[in-house]
Amino acid sequence: MELLWMIATVLFLYSSLSFLWKAFDCRRNQNCYLLDYVCYKPSDDRKLSTELCSDVIKRNKRLSMPDYKFLLKVVVNSGISEETYGPRSIIEGREESPTLDDCDDEVDDCMYSTLDKLFHRTGISPGDVDVLVVNISMFAPAPSLTSTIVNRYKMREDVKTFNLSGMGCSASPIAIDLVNNVFETRKRTLAVVITSESIAPNWYCGTDKSMMLGNCLFRSGGCSFMLTNDPSLKHRAKMRLKCLVRAHSGANDDAYSCAMQKEDTDGRVGFHLSKSLPKVAVRAFTENLQTLAPKVLPVGELALYVIRGLRHRLRRSKETKAYAGKAVRVNFKSGVEHFCLHTGGAAVIDAVGSALGLNKYDVEPARMTLHRWGNTSASSLWYVLGYMEAKKRLRRKDRVLMLSFGAGFKCNSCLWEVLRDLEDGGAWEDCIQAYPPQSLVNPFMNKFGWVSEA
Amino acid sequence: MRAVPLPRFLSSVKLGYLNVVNHLLAFPIIPVMVAVLLQVLELGPDELIAHWRSLGIDTIHALCTIFTVVVVATAYFMSRPRPVYLVDHACFRPPRTFRVPFATFFEHASLVPFFDEKSVRFQVRILESSGLGEETCLPLANRYIPPCPSTEAACAEARLVIFSAIDELIAKTGLKPRDVDILVVNCSLFSPTPSLSAMIVNKYKMRSNIMSFNLSGMGCSAGLISIDLARSLLQAHPNSYALVVSTEIITPNFYAGNQRSMLLPNCLFRMGAAAVLLSNSRREEDRAKYRLLHVVRTHEGADDRAYRCVYEEEDGEGNSGINLSKELMTVAAEALRANITAVGSLVLPVTEQLRFLASLVARRLLGARGGKPYIPDFKRAFEHLCIHAGGRAVIDELQRSLGLPAALVEASRMTLHRFGNTSSSSLWYELAYIEAKGRMRRGDRVWMIGFGSGFKCNSAVWRCLRAPKAPVDGPWSDCIHRYPVHVPEMVKLL
Repeated sequence: MELLWMIATVLFLYSSLSFLWKAFDCRRNQNCYLLDYVCYKPSDDRKLSTELCSDVIKRNKRLSMPDYKFLLKVVVNSGISEETYGPRSIIEGREESPTLDDCDDEVDDCMYSTLDKLFHRTGISPGDVDVLVVNISMFAPAPSLTSTIVNRYKMREDVKTFNLSGMGCSASPIAIDLVNNVFETRKRTLAVVITSESIAPNWYCGTDKSMMLGNCLFRSGGCSFMLTNDPSLKHRAKMRLKCLVRAHSGANDDAYSCAMQKEDTDGRVGFHLSKSLPKVAVRAFTENLQTLAPKVLPVGELALYVIRGLRHRLRRSKETKAYAGKAVRVNFKSGVEHFCLHTGGAAVIDAVGSALGLNKYDVEPARMTLHRWGNTSASSLWYVLGYMEAKKRLRRKDRVLMLSFGAGFKCNSCLWEVLRDLEDGGAWEDCIQAYPPQSLVNPFMNKFGWVSEA
Repeated sequence: MRAVPLPRFLSSVKLGYLNVVNHLLAFPIIPVMVAVLLQVLELGPDELIAHWRSLGIDTIHALCTIFTVVVVATAYFMSRPRPVYLVDHACFRPPRTFRVPFATFFEHASLVPFFDEKSVRFQVRILESSGLGEETCLPLANRYIPPCPSTEAACAEARLVIFSAIDELIAKTGLKPRDVDILVVNCSLFSPTPSLSAMIVNKYKMRSNIMSFNLSGMGCSAGLISIDLARSLLQAHPNSYALVVSTEIITPNFYAGNQRSMLLPNCLFRMGAAAVLLSNSRREEDRAKYRLLHVVRTHEGADDRAYRCVYEEEDGEGNSGINLSKELMTVAAEALRANITAVGSLVLPVTEQLRFLASLVARRLLGARGGKPYIPDFKRAFEHLCIHAGGRAVIDELQRSLGLPAALVEASRMTLHRFGNTSSSSLWYELAYIEAKGRMRRGDRVWMIGFGSGFKCNSAVWRCLRAPKAPVDGPWSDCIHRYPVHVPEMVKLL
């Protein structure tokens, strides 16, 4: 009888210990590690110089001289260099009638070249991938691009694929959110995410100014990255995800319609960017920061913010004129060392930088990315990260904040912790020495500078 | 780091084996616990009290032990995966004005300038033997001569079908849009920017911290992919509501050429949409209709033949459309076999699994002499079946290869007849049929099978918690009394 009591006690202890181990094991698996990322570098024959842009614009016979001047002005003042890339169909003169093959080729080239490098660098075989996510906003053929990748790399039957589409320039954090949620339900899982944009089928051939801006700013680019929650791969990981915040202001009609794909009055499809875009972006940005700040900033800074806010209110109630319009700023640099800002445009970068209290050094990676690669939509954050890494700025325990905006209107952000000193050149390897350049002014300013006058 | 992929024969039993191994340690414990219990029962109350006193446990020890047991038990139950409930579902009910009887279809095809006479006759012949009825619906843009597949028309169709389904779901469940935490939308062939999920957030003024995802290009099986994604999200977020919207927008996908293999979608695809409310909140256990038991996904894209069998491409004249290859049925059957094997090991009774395994081993070792492949009796695992209503040929093939009685495929056939191939939402119309017929009982298990481009075959298994009370309000409420109908092999039009 005593023996049985003893056995019962042992079993009870065993079940408690195994439960505790299970709980501990679950916690171990809740981390999302970034193993590696590869940014897409198209071939040099796809470079879009300002001169080439000018030729492409001239080909659109529907445009009048003022339209032509407006577009050229946008290109010249955009902060984009001569080194950015465009799809082959546009360079070869087929921008008005791209075929399905053109669209497939543009996207396949990006996906395959980055994935080949990613698998090679990590040493992980495609057969080990458990989750595959592709986000390309403006091109979604059937079968999906995830199926194209499964076919090309002969992935397993039980691979979970998700093809996100229509989610705009802020889709990178959305894809990470998806993977992070899947990680919570499965142990030791490996995920590959490909983020890019399709320019070829979305060239606007009409005369509506609000839709022509997309033509001037969007450029070819993409990134593939690998995530895992397997603790045994932690020593190889570059960064760990600390938090992710999504803010969707689509409930507001202005926000929903400020960046929208639709037809112009002549029935041509284009991407409309409305004048209320900056205001909408600010609102979405504020909403995101309100949730992000308590998760990211140290308690001291939050307390200081509250105190400054109270003092500001007290002073404002006494001396309304002197303090009207002066907002209380939070110092994000107390909780974040590096900022990956979406390269939506020079104005966007400057506005966000100023709102966060950043200096020239902090916004340099975003500005340089815009200069070298243009607005590559959802993958721009990864080029900015690549710049920081190539410049050897990322040290162990540094925190990196990725912030992006996109159609919907969404503002999404995620905070990473760097796990080891990073020194990869990546896509910037051959040109990082030349950055930052002496001047960001377009070299064709002389030739096309006349567009800025009159 | 990871195992070499098993040959298919072995991987087909892997899941069942894993189930046993995961609970291996529980097996020896059970007889021991039974022995202890028997010993305790043999003793009389006095002896028990004497034993108890001899252990020398005082009140404090006893309280600590009880406390530990309670804490561990609570924590254990709280750490288990949260159940996912299907609170309710609603489908788009197309208005009569959208109906396209065969004669209308034929007239329209004859009048549009794209089709030559051969193509018109071919489409009509397909329609005649398709299993579709006279009440299926096409969007207005496709009815113009010629059709005008503009982005605006496509958005209008999207708003009509999606908002109708969601409005009906809100009316049925009393859902407040601001309570939705997760939104997953799938629409394969139309993906505007901002996405359809953003369109829904805008219309219903949903919260700014909503987790929204828009899946596209994933084919007719995408409805179950969305359910899978919603399930993962619900397991990571307690007390949440997920709204899953599955649809296919027909407007932009009219094929305006003459290649036969690309004309089939014109004949078969019809308007439809479904909205499903999932939750993991314990509050919903009282009124939820179903509980999600399993989702199994199979992707055959590694095989080139499977990858290319449903393929969007341009024909010789630059018209884009979906090309359905002649090998579609073979590929579908293979994908289904792979998926069923995985599902079977989760749901079939042990005897069926053992018989299936024995047959597999025999065939492996003895080749054809090992006997015919044993087809497990799935009727023992499910009461109801919803097979994607891809087309008559697909349903026939599945019925034949799985040995299913006509009653089990009735929902699929009747949905194909009444609504046509509505792509990812067809499974929900079929479930609505079974409910409208009053056949759903508490405890019944439903197996949903979807397949589509990729080539993917996905399954979901549900258990009914609460049978819907008749008469059931849904897409079938105005016509269920006429069903089932006999669907002839061929309906002669020309």
